[in-house]
Amino acid sequence: MKRKNLRFYFRIYRKILAQDLKSKMSYRADFIISTIGMICTNIAGFISFWILFRSFPEVNGWSYHEILFLYGFSLVSLTPVQCFFDNNWSLRMYVYSGDFIKYCFRPINLFFYYQSEVFDVKGLGQFAFGIGTIIYSWSKIGLPLTFLMVIKMIIFLITASLIMIAVMNAAAATCFWITNSFYVMDLALKFKDYARYPITIFSPVFRFIFTFVMPIAFIAYYPSLVILRPDEIPLLSWLSPLFGCLFFWLSYKFWMYGAMKYSGTGS
Amino acid sequence: MKLKKYLALTRAGILESFQYRMAMLVMVAGNLLYLTVVYFFWKAVYASAGTSVVNGMTFSDTLIYLVLATALFNFMEMYTVWEIGRNIQSGKIVLDLLKPMRFRSFLFWSYSGSFVTQFFFTFLPTFIIVCIVTNGAVPLGINLLYFAVSVVMAVIINYAIDFMTGTICLYTESIWGINIMKQVIVLLLSGANIPIAFFPDTMKTIVGYLPFKSIYNTPLTILLEKNPDITVVAEALGIQLFWCIALLILSSLFWKVSLRKITVNGG
Repeated sequence: MKRKNLRFYFRIYRKILAQDLKSKMSYRADFIISTIGMICTNIAGFISFWILFRSFPEVNGWSYHEILFLYGFSLVSLTPVQCFFDNNWSLRMYVYSGDFIKYCFRPINLFFYYQSEVFDVKGLGQFAFGIGTIIYSWSKIGLPLTFLMVIKMIIFLITASLIMIAVMNAAAATCFWITNSFYVMDLALKFKDYARYPITIFSPVFRFIFTFVMPIAFIAYYPSLVILRPDEIPLLSWLSPLFGCLFFWLSYKFWMYGAMKYSGTGS
Repeated sequence: MKLKKYLALTRAGILESFQYRMAMLVMVAGNLLYLTVVYFFWKAVYASAGTSVVNGMTFSDTLIYLVLATALFNFMEMYTVWEIGRNIQSGKIVLDLLKPMRFRSFLFWSYSGSFVTQFFFTFLPTFIIVCIVTNGAVPLGINLLYFAVSVVMAVIINYAIDFMTGTICLYTESIWGINIMKQVIVLLLSGANIPIAFFPDTMKTIVGYLPFKSIYNTPLTILLEKNPDITVVAEALGIQLFWCIALLILSSLFWKVSLRKITVNGG
């Protein structure tokens, strides 16, 4: 069989995306309400943040604006998982009902085809909130705005987002074994709220866990150090793009391994 | 006997949740991990604050409050909105409406089984661990009785709000958006994420007039009170009782009006 190249996949993705958006647009009320819901979530997040740091002006040597920067960074790096990989949430239902089998019979990459089916537009609102927060805190901290900094920022944002994608892929793929992966995914999602705080607040054991086992420290903390603390960048920060790719690759293999093990429900 | 038919539903619910043993195990383990994260986070926050009492709450007060708030959330979350919404979309609601039981009671009692299992598998272990970890910072006395009464009313208030939100789905056909809005509003304004004691004064006043406070803040504040003043407790419970009755009547009226509008596709 001819190996499909990247351009082929890109073209297919565009086509599937257009269909998905069309079908979403036919439920206009749902679309609008969901968008408002997403905006509410972000506003509530900011209110909680504000209430908390009203009482505590700094945490562990990190100032209010620096933590706000981490917060914005995590919002942006969590956008891709929301936009492009939202179909993971439905995986358990497809597996449970047996409908998953339909994905196995397409002559393209199974993982790609499954994920491409849904594009979640709501995530773009979060993206806007995140970018706004980063710009605000950037100017408040007084970071210099150079071309190099922006490039660094973009590279680290992209690689950081791979981590959360990896975590959610792995969490969703557990449904191939335990059927109901909702609890695992819900839990993984809960932890992302703590990804936005400096990892130094944890004890060494948990620092290790959140760096290597459940790598949420790479979502905001390690990559942000490159921008926020340019004088004392640990090695792990520079390695974070590598870790992003590695964890993504691992989660992909895990997901595919589960999918290959899948034997249908017989219906 | 009238109660017997309800208790049959409870029993079925308990048996059902035992079917998903793996999911339950993941939930208990995940919950403990999550609580550890909360512990470290607040410890760091208090360590940076410089004083041991912030907004009238010590570190152990805040920890007990938040940990038990999470436990209460797991205990009370019934996914009512999803259940009603999905039943409307699939048309299954017709079958439930035909049952010789009011729909609202039917839904509540079918969940009551998971109340029992959740109580023993998440709430109780969490409570015991918290008591041990904080070295008896949880006062064990008459306040436990008040707490129990308060939690029962909190469950009813929470259910009434959920049920009303679910009824909105009859009109909108959007589940995700409606549910996320409800969840965000309830969790923020009930003090489940951040204790209401931390709120700025104007927000405290506003929250005081809303029913959400009665879900998490009231039972937990009652529990943490070392020398409960009977008039203060009676007042808090009275407000809860008021909201209980008001919301039950309101949700029942809203449901009755909406039911006339119901359109079911197939079924």
